[in-house]
Amino acid sequence: MSAAEQRLEDILNNDIWDVDPNPHITVDSEKCKNCNTKPCIRLCPAGCYTMSEKTLVFSYEGCVECGTCRVVCPLEAIHWEFPKSGRGIYFRFS
Amino acid sequence: MAEIPNKFDVIVIGAGPAGSASAYYLATKGFKVLMLERGRSPGSKNVFGGRVYVAPLREIFSDFEKTAPIHRWVTRERMSFMYGNELVSLDYEGNDHKSFTTYLSQLVAWMALKAETAGVSIVNDITVTGLLKEGNKVIGIKSGNESVKADVVIDAEGVNRLVLESAGTVPPLKPSNVALGVKEVVKVNPEVLANEFGLGDGEGMAWSLMGDVTSGLPGGGFIYTNKDSVSIGLVMLLDNAISGANDEVYRYVERLKAHPKLNKYFKDSRIMEYSAHLIPEDVWSLRPPKLAYDGLLIAGDAAGFLLNLGYTYRGVDFAAYSGYLAGKAIEQAHELGGMSAINLAAYPKLLDQSFIMKNLKRFNGTNKLMHNRRLFTAYPAMMVSLMKRIYSLDYESQKIFNTVLASAKENGVGPFTLISDGIEVIRYL
Ligand SMILES: Cc1cc2nc3c(=O)[nH]c(=O)nc-3n(C[C@H](O)[C@H](O)[C@H](O)COP(=O)(O)OP(=O)(O)OC[C@H]3O[C@@H](n4cnc5c(N)ncnc54)[C@H](O)[C@@H]3O)c2cc1C
Ligand code: SF4
Ligand code: SF4
Repeated sequence: MSAAEQRLEDILNNDIWDVDPNPHITVDSEKCKNCNTKPCIRLCPAGCYTMSEKTLVFSYEGCVECGTCRVVCPLEAIHWEFPKSGRGIYFRFS
Repeated sequence: MAEIPNKFDVIVIGAGPAGSASAYYLATKGFKVLMLERGRSPGSKNVFGGRVYVAPLREIFSDFEKTAPIHRWVTRERMSFMYGNELVSLDYEGNDHKSFTTYLSQLVAWMALKAETAGVSIVNDITVTGLLKEGNKVIGIKSGNESVKADVVIDAEGVNRLVLESAGTVPPLKPSNVALGVKEVVKVNPEVLANEFGLGDGEGMAWSLMGDVTSGLPGGGFIYTNKDSVSIGLVMLLDNAISGANDEVYRYVERLKAHPKLNKYFKDSRIMEYSAHLIPEDVWSLRPPKLAYDGLLIAGDAAGFLLNLGYTYRGVDFAAYSGYLAGKAIEQAHELGGMSAINLAAYPKLLDQSFIMKNLKRFNGTNKLMHNRRLFTAYPAMMVSLMKRIYSLDYESQKIFNTVLASAKENGVGPFTLISDGIEVIRYL
């Protein structure tokens, strides 16, 4: 493993989460239909926002809780909270 | 929170550098302090680049160096300007122990333990969801349906200040307020640290990178050497990234590691952790209307105390020191008879007299400078082409002055732009 770029999945595999059964972030994908730029897709460092067919799909499980999507979403489609009860990402070396 | 007594002298929201330093100071002065952290343990939600300036921490924790998790003292500083497969570097080799590398997760765990040992009650797994108020006065905090009271609350929740937003104290974050940092910590062979980075035992390197590492977006890359690992990452101003990032952000870090001139530092490396976090950028617009309210003080990133000079970040020492000053202000207000905004006004005064506000005022134009895209596109390219013209010769040598103008022209920078940008850099940095 050196020069080759790794896939995000493999990179994220090195992290630890205690995933909250209740999503701490929810997205109103109806609003996303009117979003031309969709900055969340490129800027979410954990790749939580993807396109499937023509709809935006969001999965919260790999979220690293940076807050970027909350700030860049132009249409207020995102309801964003921190995970409850110590759940979510657990950083050890960051 | 059932088992917690329901009244404290002080409640601290967030066990980061700001919260832990304030809690520690107040506990040593005999205050009954409760510190609430949303993570499973202090440090588990904290992310930074890699280097901390030691002087402010030494003032707060007198025996800092004895037990703190210091990985390496930064004895080597490097700044590189990148363009394509080439780079130009400035390298400084010193001997001083002014800053060190570490993992913030470890440093915060250490600071919180100091606070706990001094008598602070720390409760993890608690996300504070709001401030408890009586009229305009803050009298405690809420977490879901539960609440705890205190004479005064220190808000040290960091840059994603959901508590202050929900209380209406600050407006929601805007993309122009913040930058996104994305980072990998990678395990490297000890020989790489010795041979490629050229570091002796305990010696560390802080390396900043500018140029097309961010595809010319304002921001830059960073590399820090830890004990047996390397932190590598990128920072991008979010407003520029929205329109300009043409790829998924994680790929920029991977590409940096794979760069033909950098990959030797990462051969046989293994990713230990991947993380991302926002960074206060436009610190003056992030600043809350006031820093001291009736029953409330705001410290650290939540107050926008961070200095970004392009080649270095100072957030951890600023946060810790602002927490420490919040502690001192509470001590003074206690002597004056209560936690009213008037009695707590010592806090902004102490900040004004400290290195925090002096630095932020001295460098108040850097944010404007960071938005000058030429610094991240044309100039790194120009530095590379300049060096190439000077050093990469077949027969004829070039005069340096002519070479500067020629490489400026080659990169679309006219002589007047060159001069005015030069003046800007000198003025703001
Ligand atoms: C990529 C990157 C690189 C950086 N590089 C450097 C560097 O090299 N050197 C440097 O000095 N600084 C650097 N910084 C800045 C530095 O990390 C911050 O300035 C510093 O961590 C701020 O400390 P803080 O205590 O204010 O906030 P934080 O470190 O963010 O801590 C806030 C704490 O509050 C907790 N919390 C938040 N909300 C709640 C809630 N509602 N309830 C309970 N708990 C809550 C969080 O879990 C966290 O533990 C960097 C930052 C980033 C993102
Ligand atoms: S930025 Fe907001 S509105 Fe646009 S696609 Fe993403 S979540 Fe939807
Ligand atoms: S908070 Fe960060 S990691 Fe989580 S979904 Fe939003 S952008 Fe992605």
